[in-house]
Amino acid sequence: MIYLHDGLFDGFLTCIYQHYYGHKATGIFEKASYTPCLFDEVLVIETDTEKARKVYNSIVEKLSEEVYWSVFYTFLANDVNKDCYLLNYIVLAFKMGPSISLLHSHDVVYPVKRLSKKVMSERHRFLGILRFSDIGNCLYAELEPENDILMILSDHFVDRYMNERFIIHDIKREKAIISNLGEWLITDFKLKEKVIFGEKELFFQGLWKRYFESIGIESRSNAKLQQQFVPLKYRKHVVEFHTD
Amino acid sequence: MLDTSIMEKLRVLTESAKYDVSCASSGTQTKNKGGLGNATAAGICHTWAADGRCVSLLKTLLTNDCIFDCAYCANRSSNDIKRVSFTAEEIATIVVEFYRRNYIEGLFLSSAIEVNPNATTEKIIQTLKLLRNRERFYGYIHVKAIPGADPELIRQAGELADRMSVNIELPTEESLRILAPQKNVQKLLLPMAQIKKGIDEVNEDRGKYKFAAKFVPAGQSTQMIVGATRDSDRSILFAAENLYKNFSLKRVYYSAYVPVNAGANLPAIQTAPPLLREHRLYQADWLLRYYKFEAKELLTEQEMNFDLDFDPKMNWAFRNLDRFPIEINTADYGLLLRIPGVGVQSARRIMHQRKISPIKYEDLKKLGIVMKRAKYFIVCGGKFFGERNLEVEGLKRIMNPKPMYEQLSLFNLTKEVPYPLGGRNLLPKPVEVGSPTDGQAKLGLGRVIF
Ligand code: SF4
Repeated sequence: MIYLHDGLFDGFLTCIYQHYYGHKATGIFEKASYTPCLFDEVLVIETDTEKARKVYNSIVEKLSEEVYWSVFYTFLANDVNKDCYLLNYIVLAFKMGPSISLLHSHDVVYPVKRLSKKVMSERHRFLGILRFSDIGNCLYAELEPENDILMILSDHFVDRYMNERFIIHDIKREKAIISNLGEWLITDFKLKEKVIFGEKELFFQGLWKRYFESIGIESRSNAKLQQQFVPLKYRKHVVEFHTD
Repeated sequence: MLDTSIMEKLRVLTESAKYDVSCASSGTQTKNKGGLGNATAAGICHTWAADGRCVSLLKTLLTNDCIFDCAYCANRSSNDIKRVSFTAEEIATIVVEFYRRNYIEGLFLSSAIEVNPNATTEKIIQTLKLLRNRERFYGYIHVKAIPGADPELIRQAGELADRMSVNIELPTEESLRILAPQKNVQKLLLPMAQIKKGIDEVNEDRGKYKFAAKFVPAGQSTQMIVGATRDSDRSILFAAENLYKNFSLKRVYYSAYVPVNAGANLPAIQTAPPLLREHRLYQADWLLRYYKFEAKELLTEQEMNFDLDFDPKMNWAFRNLDRFPIEINTADYGLLLRIPGVGVQSARRIMHQRKISPIKYEDLKKLGIVMKRAKYFIVCGGKFFGERNLEVEGLKRIMNPKPMYEQLSLFNLTKEVPYPLGGRNLLPKPVEVGSPTDGQAKLGLGRVIF
């Protein structure tokens, strides 16, 4: 039986609950990204926060926080099979107990380690290369990450900009973190019109670009290495790489 | 203050500060207490400059107007260059505005010695006070301790900064005397000793009181220039090891000397910076700090400098072939770390996975081991997978150093980079170690001073 969910983490956890208390699942997918196959028996699972919470609790209590974070990070990955990997992983984890964290190269464990690491490192990259502009009444940042990392960026920036109002906008997924002096939420989001920068904002963008040009040492110049760290696909939203 | 003169000042003072390599923002964790900013333990790179180096901090000088005349420095008093100074207010504003836009992790403030060491340090303190008290800035701040400043002033700066550093620059007394005659070892070590003492006291207090004062919570670091003198890698590495031991430094940075001045005692101005040599020193430094190596194991009286073809760990393995191969399933952690191709992370994974089941040959790659190098040095479940009976020359031929840049790219960039943050492993072209000029030969090999 293939279980489909609405794309929320709670929806996924509800599928896990059904796996244990209903029919065994052979695969779990997000409804929107699932391509139907003639021979699959498919069931759409209604998200149930109560059931989800029970699964969450038993992961944290019977396994460990570490296992939970691997599951959550993997869930955010941009990979159609991620939820199937997670299903196998969670089933094995409940058989083995917390010691599953010690495994690394195991066939069931490895895909989860690999994906969660990918998500984690994309998060880390964006902690650095996310760029805000002061648009008058708040700070505004745009990004197009490969994985759905908005949720796991929030803790860092909300703490850092406790005394600010800001928006971090995932323009690919059309949603955003909106934070006001430490209080925040994630919501669907679309800009009505293009943002326009004031004089002060343009001055600091210019000053930063000047700094960026001055800091490189000519006799060590190495564009290939630079590109390895800031691949072209990420440069669109990073102001110092804009040419004008 | 939003005018072009600020742009020009920032350009000039950044150009002068950029040869200082210590850019790491890691090593401390500060929560935001209702103002702007925090510091994360992992350290964050915000961008990468055209030379591929990580940019984490606004790295600039307060002024480039110096009363000293160190031979290797662009700001020395005898150079005819444009002299500019920031005000404390200007720096505070730039830091806050850059930080709000997530351009930087914080500030790295250095300075030439303007008027005298005390006046310069006072201006640094004024800048830090504006940031910490008025702007309530909790981001990362690294400042230079100016040698010769009053201990009381150094204490004040230390209470406001996350990290402080005094640059040693040269590993031997002789080199210092010739190239930086106004500095001397005692003057450099004094603030270092004071900072260490300050840190130790606070740590002691923390055991006793709940709210102990803060003092340089991210520790102190230093920098040495590589290739401005004839000092060997061995002098440099021994000096670094002693600094780690005696002053509990967090980091020693190495900077391939970029000739900015002509001078009888200096390499010719067109000498390329010895990047590969710098790279080897960083690798060796990494081995000292995380792999439990000692400097004397890596370089000997017979081998004063690192082999540029093979990394220091591989070279150690060549010299100690009788200790290999090592059984992955039984070797202790320290021994695993000595295997070429096995890093700290893979060694930990091996230790973990072994608790559950023996490790099979097929697992090794997934555990992150670089098999290309490791297979000649290991046995797994009693089986050896490299070619048999290899002596050093045979091994070297197999590991066959490719053209230099390819050789370096074997070093896995994303996994373990022995640099502050980011790296400089890929060289645009093979680089020679600066060839000595006549004047330089005079320097000879100095005595290690620490
Ligand atoms: S004291 Fe510092 S800034 Fe002044 S000349 Fe020496 S190295 Fe340069």
